[in-house]
Amino acid sequence: MMHDRIWYLLGRKVANELLPEEAEELEHLLQQYPDASYVKEILMQSWKDKQKEFTSGDIEAALLRNKQRLLEVQSQMPTEPIPAKRNSKVFRLSLRVASVAAAAVLLFLVSRIWLGRGENDKREQPALQQLVTKTGSRTYIKLTDGTSVWLNAGSKLHYPKQFEGKNREVTLEGEAYFEVATDANHPFIVKTNACSIRVLGTSFNVRFYPDEKMATTSLVTGSIEVVADRRTVRLQPNEKLTIPYSLPATNTANVETPPIKLSTLTPVKDNIVVETAWKDNKLAFKKLALSEVVQLMERWYGAEIHFKSEQKKSLVFSGVFENESLTEALQALEMSGGFHFTKDKNNIYWIE
Amino acid sequence: MQAAGYTGNNVSLINTTILIVYFCSMINNELARFHFRRFCTESDMSAYDELYRLLYSRLVHLSAAIVGSFHLAEEVVSDVFIMIWQKRQELAAVDNPVVYIYISTRNRSLNTVQQQKRHRHTSLELLDTDALAMSPDPEHGMISAEIIQKIEAAIRSLPDRCQLIFRLVKQDGLRYKEVAELLDISPKTVDAQLAIAVKKIAAAIRLDMPQELAQAFLFR
Repeated sequence: MMHDRIWYLLGRKVANELLPEEAEELEHLLQQYPDASYVKEILMQSWKDKQKEFTSGDIEAALLRNKQRLLEVQSQMPTEPIPAKRNSKVFRLSLRVASVAAAAVLLFLVSRIWLGRGENDKREQPALQQLVTKTGSRTYIKLTDGTSVWLNAGSKLHYPKQFEGKNREVTLEGEAYFEVATDANHPFIVKTNACSIRVLGTSFNVRFYPDEKMATTSLVTGSIEVVADRRTVRLQPNEKLTIPYSLPATNTANVETPPIKLSTLTPVKDNIVVETAWKDNKLAFKKLALSEVVQLMERWYGAEIHFKSEQKKSLVFSGVFENESLTEALQALEMSGGFHFTKDKNNIYWIE
Repeated sequence: MQAAGYTGNNVSLINTTILIVYFCSMINNELARFHFRRFCTESDMSAYDELYRLLYSRLVHLSAAIVGSFHLAEEVVSDVFIMIWQKRQELAAVDNPVVYIYISTRNRSLNTVQQQKRHRHTSLELLDTDALAMSPDPEHGMISAEIIQKIEAAIRSLPDRCQLIFRLVKQDGLRYKEVAELLDISPKTVDAQLAIAVKKIAAAIRLDMPQELAQAFLFR
């Protein structure tokens, strides 16, 4: 039947399998049967999935979940016991504390490997400069290669007076935001005790306060590679990588390493992102326990804040502070409820 | 001035190319092959990401039709990608990466069903066809909600495997021989099944034709 022939040829057209002579034949048939042309138009346009349409947001989220699993699988590759998945945050925290030792051993090994790699640097150590910020103060420096560095409170940056050799290397303890001047021939490397970050030209934030027991690298633009525990993880913009860490001194026996974690940056409001807000003189946090908020504030304002009531530590807050004094900031939190604070004669704040 | 005008043209040409790449699944498959080779040979994580973005929705739909759940399907697809990442060095020589990933997804989906429901026989004959459902986009403006419903009903009336074939060709841009390899049938069968699907859909559309057009059609 003539019509069956049209549908057969249309099928081949949809599949992009038409032979030249078939295309000609189809053209000819479509001229004879205008209704078939309408069917052709409908078949050739793009169709929508009915049951489930994935937005690009859905797909990015799925990709992140996949990368997280990939990291877990890779970290289980050695003959270590498989760490069980835990949902309880409290347990995760205690697990983290309990397991820092194993992490420390691994990271110590990694740092040894990294030191080994930089052997030729050892011969002529370039003169190192040191930039230090106290709690309650932040600073900015432009390095000789044009790279901008914002240094957050309570941090230390070692950098050479003049960059020499193949790599541009700096060492960080604390938190810094880098806008690296592009120079493809001289990779920029940020070293911390927990990881190394290799960059060509980009903006990113590194947070590594040893007392927080983890190192977090957040990428804003461009592309960076984080090396830790012999693994290399490449970050995409808007992603951050959290690596567990502890001082080698707390080294004890067989404990599990919490997984290295890949996640996205945390927006608070407008264009403010928790991880990098400090650079623009904003203290931002989202859904954070008061105990952690207080830790941030102590460092930010250079003050001492203590709890009289242990229960209050687990209250959760979100907020952005810019020009507020510590008292004003605490008053704002107090107003949103759950606690009171007082200040004693030694300028120590007490939460109850 | 002329030079500036020329540059402008170039820019718009590049934009068009990007649009075509995004909307033509055929070219998407070429792009997928390109990214696959790149991460196999260079271990480039960003190529892995791109491949994931390109194929995610398509593979999840295929898997969901087999395992009967989008949630499970995401795990299957995630497993497949972790597997190809781990085996990337061996996979550099794979002939057709897209088909390889599709077949891996099919196999893992079938295994998942087997583990979950031991008694149900597992094959591609019995599918959750809801997961395969698709229909013309009313935003194109040339089609009424009523015809769309009729098309959907026509597709639902097709055998499971025929629905799958239509989807793999229309939505995923697979070639006949790729579909044939994936479903373990001959390319001729794919050809014939697709003709059946198109005929059914055409009948649904034609029933809704304006009177004059239908008349012209009948009396020809």
